[in-house]
Amino acid sequence: MSSSLTEASGLKSLLQSVLKPASARGSRSSGLMRLLGNYGTIFALVIMIVVFTIVEPSTFPTLGNIRNVLTDMSLAAIVAAGVTLPLVAGDFDLSVGYVASFSGILVVGLLSNGQWPVPLAIVTAIGAGLLIGIINGLVVSKLGVNAFIATLGTGTLVIGLNYAYSGGMPIALTHSQSFTEISLGQFWGIPNLILIMATALVLLWVLLNRTVQGQHIKAVGKSPETARRAGIAVDGTRVIAFAISGTCAAITGVLLASNLGSGQVTAGDGYMLSAFAAAYLGSAALHQGEFHIVGTLIGVLTVAVGNNGLAILGAPIFTQYMFSGGLLVIAVALGSVSRRYAA
Amino acid sequence: MQPDERNTIDRGLTTAAPLVTLRNVSKLFGGVHALDDVSFELRRGDVVGLVGDNGAGKSTLVKILSGVFGPSSGEILIEGERETLTPPARAQRHGIETVYQDLALVSSFTVAENFFVGRERSWGRGPKLFQIMNRRSMTSTAASALESLNISIPHLKNRPVERMSGGQRQMAAIARGAFWGERLLLLDEPTAALGVRESREVLELVSQLSQRGLTMLMVTHNLEHLWSVCNRVIVMRRGRKVADLMSSETTMDEVVAYITGAKGPETLSSE
Repeated sequence: MSSSLTEASGLKSLLQSVLKPASARGSRSSGLMRLLGNYGTIFALVIMIVVFTIVEPSTFPTLGNIRNVLTDMSLAAIVAAGVTLPLVAGDFDLSVGYVASFSGILVVGLLSNGQWPVPLAIVTAIGAGLLIGIINGLVVSKLGVNAFIATLGTGTLVIGLNYAYSGGMPIALTHSQSFTEISLGQFWGIPNLILIMATALVLLWVLLNRTVQGQHIKAVGKSPETARRAGIAVDGTRVIAFAISGTCAAITGVLLASNLGSGQVTAGDGYMLSAFAAAYLGSAALHQGEFHIVGTLIGVLTVAVGNNGLAILGAPIFTQYMFSGGLLVIAVALGSVSRRYAA
Repeated sequence: MQPDERNTIDRGLTTAAPLVTLRNVSKLFGGVHALDDVSFELRRGDVVGLVGDNGAGKSTLVKILSGVFGPSSGEILIEGERETLTPPARAQRHGIETVYQDLALVSSFTVAENFFVGRERSWGRGPKLFQIMNRRSMTSTAASALESLNISIPHLKNRPVERMSGGQRQMAAIARGAFWGERLLLLDEPTAALGVRESREVLELVSQLSQRGLTMLMVTHNLEHLWSVCNRVIVMRRGRKVADLMSSETTMDEVVAYITGAKGPETLSSE
């Protein structure tokens, strides 16, 4: 925590010295804030990488450790990229952590208790996430419930489903040991998890930036009424964003269960917070306060590098919590600075 | 630019039914008559100024024509056929476009993107999820549409409209409306937030579109602006149409008298 604070103030003085006194537009401080809003997260990431590389040259900047960082962040990256879509559409999806936990329990339950074939169990668990996402979207758009409250509600409902299904007890993977190969396996020496993460991120990037659907999501998020009057089906667009978010959360839950080799009742809950931290950090990267997939990836990377570095330094576990929590607050602050000083 | 002459020569459609007819249209909001029994016709090539005090029903009228909401009673005819205009996408399919005062453009999109918002060109069919946008085609079409109206907007494909001047935004919004609006272009206070020079540019654009035969209905508070482009003026007061006059046959003073209620509703409906 203290390290990131000194970084931030160091960053500030660095920027102040770099900044030309006669900046082209606006005052000196608004120029600084704009820089911070657009590049704050990237500066923080670069500085962490530089510091950890200098302090731990033999362990941090190694190929093996880079692989570790990327593998560790892969699950969080998929959820975070998923919640980015409702965020772009102007909505919050707070149910993702609970959806991830539920789909993890469900997939292992179907495999162990139901002895379902692996592909069918996976498709069913991911389908459950998709369904919850659609319900979220319908509640928010058709019933007009505030997304924050609605998804907290459906999320809690999903906890109930989780307990109803599992009885509150973890489910061990008794059959289908091949299920664990999905997350532990490799392809051309690259861990499957990294490949799955990369595929998910590329698909979501294309969806948001190249498809008509993505353009409508952006338009709805910027101004629903303008979008509606331009003939866009606003409700349907929001439902699709939630559906994608729910699907991504369920994919993460399934991969997590595969990684753990068991279904844990609350295993995925924490992804909600890390996903939002990443998305907000990402909104303070490059695009002037807007949520976007590349930004979210940078955000996830920032959190992962920070945690990895602290672990290598042997920092006590409490510092990692303080780092994550502090980072979330800083992330939201950077995001709002970025939006305030945009354009 | 005599409107009648333009109709007969350019379009040769004077014998056909009026472009848009409103018959006894009323709109109630919780018992309050926002519009009370309004009837009028728009003929091809008309450029109508819609004036009235705040709360007179001007924007309700525009929203009904643009499909934002339907009338509580009465009917709308498009070229003699009774039609429903809601939701806005349906009004658009009838060739009715609207340039809203505040909601015209998506601020984070470029001019080219805004040109095609809701009507993106794409490769592939089926769900929008699988339709890849054809940005090049959209950009070049938007550029040539602007060029044909002599509007020069730099960076139309890479600068979001929130970083453009109010005048540039308004020109782009009107050009988009003219591009899509085959039948009727509704302009909601097109010069309200603009400076003198920018207002003049917008009015020049409106009269340029009028010379091309585009039918327009323009809400405005500024009678000078109205007189510089409109051939007809409709005055609203307390939800009713109180006057419908050719601008060549009336004066600003008379229109002001209708707006303020100093002069009562005329009985003839200008037909």
